[in-house]
Amino acid sequence: MSYAILTDTTRCIGCRECVAACKVTWNLEGDVPRRWSKNDGLSALNWTSIVEKGPDEYVRKQCRHCKEPACASACPVGALHHTPEGPVVYDAHKCLGCRYCMMACPYGIPRYDWDSAVPYVRKCIMCYPRIKDGQQPACTEACPVDATIFGDRDELIAEAHRRIKAEPDKYIDHVWGEHEVGGTNVLYISSFDLSCLTYGRPLDDKPLPARTRPAMNAVLPTFGVMFATMGGLGWLIGRRMENAQTDQPEQEAPKDNDTSNDDQGEVNNG
Amino acid sequence: MDRVRKLKLVLWTIFGLAFAVAVTRFAVGLGATTNLNDGYGWGFWIGFDVMGGVALAAGGFVITAIVYIFRKEEFHGIVKPAVLTAFLGYVAVIVGLLFDLGLPWNIWHMIIFWNPHSPLFEVGWCVMLYTTVLLLEFSPVPLEPFSAWAKIRAFLIKFRMLFVVLGISLSTLHQSSLGSLFLIMPHRLHPLWYTPILPILFFVSAVMLGFYMVCWESLFTTHMYRREKEASLLGKLLGVARWVMLLYLIIRFGDLAVRGQLGYLTEGGYYTNLFWTEVLVMAIIPFILTLIPRVVKSTAGQWFIASFGVFGVVLNRTDVGGLAHQIGGGVHYAPAWSEYVVSAGVVSLAGLIFMFFVEHFKVWEHRPADPHADPETLPEFDSASQVSLGTPHIAARSTFSLAFIIAMGVGFMLLAGEKVTSKGIDPTPVHAARGDQDTLWIDGNLDGYGVAFPHKVHETNNGGPESCVKCHHMNLPLDKQSVCAECHYDMYIAVDAFKHDWHASPDGGNVQCVKCHNEGVPRSADTASLKEGVYDCSACHNDLFPAGATIVVEQYDALGYAQAMHTLCIDCHVDTASARALAALKYNQEEPAGSDAGMDAGAKDYSQAELIAYNDEHFKVLTKCSVCHTGEIRETVQLTDTQKALGGTVTACPVLPPQELKK
Repeated sequence: MSYAILTDTTRCIGCRECVAACKVTWNLEGDVPRRWSKNDGLSALNWTSIVEKGPDEYVRKQCRHCKEPACASACPVGALHHTPEGPVVYDAHKCLGCRYCMMACPYGIPRYDWDSAVPYVRKCIMCYPRIKDGQQPACTEACPVDATIFGDRDELIAEAHRRIKAEPDKYIDHVWGEHEVGGTNVLYISSFDLSCLTYGRPLDDKPLPARTRPAMNAVLPTFGVMFATMGGLGWLIGRRMENAQTDQPEQEAPKDNDTSNDDQGEVNNG
Repeated sequence: MDRVRKLKLVLWTIFGLAFAVAVTRFAVGLGATTNLNDGYGWGFWIGFDVMGGVALAAGGFVITAIVYIFRKEEFHGIVKPAVLTAFLGYVAVIVGLLFDLGLPWNIWHMIIFWNPHSPLFEVGWCVMLYTTVLLLEFSPVPLEPFSAWAKIRAFLIKFRMLFVVLGISLSTLHQSSLGSLFLIMPHRLHPLWYTPILPILFFVSAVMLGFYMVCWESLFTTHMYRREKEASLLGKLLGVARWVMLLYLIIRFGDLAVRGQLGYLTEGGYYTNLFWTEVLVMAIIPFILTLIPRVVKSTAGQWFIASFGVFGVVLNRTDVGGLAHQIGGGVHYAPAWSEYVVSAGVVSLAGLIFMFFVEHFKVWEHRPADPHADPETLPEFDSASQVSLGTPHIAARSTFSLAFIIAMGVGFMLLAGEKVTSKGIDPTPVHAARGDQDTLWIDGNLDGYGVAFPHKVHETNNGGPESCVKCHHMNLPLDKQSVCAECHYDMYIAVDAFKHDWHASPDGGNVQCVKCHNEGVPRSADTASLKEGVYDCSACHNDLFPAGATIVVEQYDALGYAQAMHTLCIDCHVDTASARALAALKYNQEEPAGSDAGMDAGAKDYSQAELIAYNDEHFKVLTKCSVCHTGEIRETVQLTDTQKALGGTVTACPVLPPQELKK
C-alpha cells in the first residue's frame, strides 16, 4: 500500500492554509527569496507553495514523491530514499551536499540551505513521521475545502477519474502524476494545464532512473573488457617487440600502423 | 625576471586571492560566495573544475597506453610529465569538489554508504581509485633520490604494467561516467547535447583531449623552461589524434542524425551557436589543421591546434555541465567573481606543484636549469636599504610570499562588507537607491526586477508628513515582535490572515458556522455566500489600523510583500489617473476650451476600461509593467520620473500578468 496526495485545483481557493500548516509543523522560519531563484515560492524554508496561474487558478507545489525517484537514484550515498509507505525521505546525516538530487529532479523540487555554512537539502517529506503515527500530512489536514486530500494511491486515482468522469466539462481528462516518470505519489486533477509544474521539456512516462541504468549496468563489463584488452594487448605487443628486437631490429614502421588501428578499435569499444 | 619566476609570481597571487575566498566560503557558506541557486545547483566549480579537470587529466591514460601498452618508446620522454599532470589534475578535482560540496567533511561517506545506481557514486569511486593508481604510478620519480625507499620504488616499478592497465580501465569508466551523470536530466539538457550515448562521446572526446593536453603541456613547459623542442614527436601525436577527432565527429553528428535532432543545427539562437562554437573549436578546426602537414610540424601550428582543442573540450564539458541547460522560469546563473577566483586558484596551485616537481625531481630526462640559481637577476644585498635579501633563491621565495599575502589581503578586502555578512542576499526588499536618497529601490520578491520609487515626490503630493499613514502600516517589515507577525509570519508569501480554524475552535471564541456563513460551510471561494459585514475583519478588529489608513482588511488573504506593493501602488495610481483622465475627457469633449465647468456633475459617465484606454493613449502610466519596472537599473538608478522610466526595458514581468493591471 502506497499513500498519496490528490490535489484538485478546481477546489483550491488559494488560502495557503497548507503552506502555513507545513511551516508550523516543521518549524520553518520566514524566508527571504534569493535573487535569481525559481519564482515559485518553494525554498529550503517553504516546502510547499501555492502558485497562482491566473485569476482563481491556484496550484499547490510540493515534492511529487515519485515512485521511482530520480533524486534517490542520483544520490551517491543514498541519502534520499523511497519508503514503502510512499514518501521520498532524506537522511541528513548521510548527505555530503553534492546537490545532484537538485539537478536530477524533473520537477525542480529539492532546495538548498544556501545561506548556511552547514547546508542541507530541503524538501517536502509528506510528513513521514506523522504518517508513521497514523496521522495524515499537515497540509492535507489543514485544507479547509478538501482541495488536497490524503489516502491510498489506488483509491485516489480512482477518485480522480471518478471526478473527471462526473464533470468532464470542468476537468482536463488527465491525472497528472498517474504515469509521468513512472508515476508519482502526488497527483493532480485540474481545469487548466499543469505542465507548468515541470521544466520546459515535456516528460514521458519512462522513469528517469531507467535512463542511467544501461550506462550503470555497463560499468563493470566495460572495466573487465578494458582491463583484459589492454592487459592482453600490452602483453602481446611486449612479446612481439622482444622477439622483433632479438630477430630483426628494423620492424618499426609497419607496426606503427598496426597499433594505431588497435587504438581506434579500443575507442569504439569504450 | 625569468619567465618561470614571472609565472610563479602570477600563480602565487591568484592562489592568495583564492585562499581568501576559500576561507570565506567555509566560514559563511555557498550562498555568500557563489551565485548558485535552486535552479542551478551546479555551477562553474562543477562545470569547469570537476568536469574540465577530469577531462584535462586524460593525457595521463592516453600517453601511458601509447607508451606502455603499444610500446611507442619514442614517446617515453613525455610519460612522466603527463602522469604528473594527470595526478595533479585529479588532486585539483578533489580540492575543487571540496569547495563545491555543501558538507565536504562528509566526502568519505561514499566509502561506507553505497548507492551503485548513482553515476556520481561511480565517479567518486573512480576518482579515489584512479588518484591512488596515479600516485603509485608516479611515485617512483620523487622516490628516486632517496636510497632508503629503493625497495619500495623497485616494487612499484615492477608492478607498473598493472598500474597502467588499471589506470586505463579506471579512466575509461571515469571519463565516460561523467557523461552518464547527465543521462538523468533529459528535462534540463538541450537535445543537441542530451543523448543516451553521452558516456561514449565523453570517453572519445577524453581520448582526443588527452592528445591535445600532452601537446599543450609539452609546448608550454618547453617555452617556460627553454627546453629542447619536441616538435616532431608532437607532430606524430597529432597525426594519431586526427583519427580520434574524425571518429568523434562521426559519432557526434551520426548520433544527432539517428536521434533526428539535426534540425537544431540550423535553428539559430543561443544553443545552436553554442553547439557550433564548441564543435568547431574542439574538433573540426583542429581536424582540418592536422590535415595540413606544414601546420602539424610547426610549433605555432601545434600551439594553435592544442590550445583550440583543449579549450573546445573544456567548453564541451562546461556546456553539458550547465551552459546548455534550459530550465526557464526566469532563473539565471552567471558565476560570481569569487567562483572564477577559486577555480583559478586551484589551477594555480596545481601549476605550482607541477613546477616544484619538475625542478626538484627527474620528471624530464634532463632537469631544467634551476630558474632561481641565476645570480645576476637579484642582488644578495641591497646597498640602498642596507638589507640582506639572502640568496636569490630566498629572495624569490620572499617575493612569492609577499604576493600571496598581499593578494590574500586584497581578497578579504573585496569580500568584506555586505556580501559576506548579509548571507549573500538582500536582507530587505527596499533600498535607498544609489545616488538619490529620495528614491527608493523596491523589489518586493527580490527577483531583480524592482521599481525605482520616488518617495519624496509621493510624500509631497499626498500631503506631507500627514500622509505616512496612507501607505505605512503599524509595524516595520520583518518585525516579529508585533501582533501583526502572527498572520504576516512571512512577509514574502501571501498567507491566510484569517485563522479560520482558530475562530471555530473552543480556544478562539467558538464561533458558530452560521454566525459567518449564511448557507452552511462554503466549499469554494464563493464570497457571496458569506454574510456581509462579518467578512470585513475590521468590523470586529477595529483597532487594527490607524485612522486614515488606505490599507484595509477586506480579504481573507494577507498579501505577500510584492502583492501588497502592487495593491498599494496600482490602486492609488488607478484612482488618480482615472480622475485625471476623467477630467481631461470631460474637458476635451464636453466643454469648450478654457471653460471651468468641465468637471460638473451630469456629464457623461466613463467606465474604468475607457479611462484606462485613455490613459494608455495619453499618459501611459498604468498598463505597462515597464513603466515602473524599468529593468535592472538598480546600480545606476536616477530615473525618478515617468518619462524617463518609459525608456526602460523589461525582459520579464514575473509578478504580475498585464491583464491583472486592468482589474
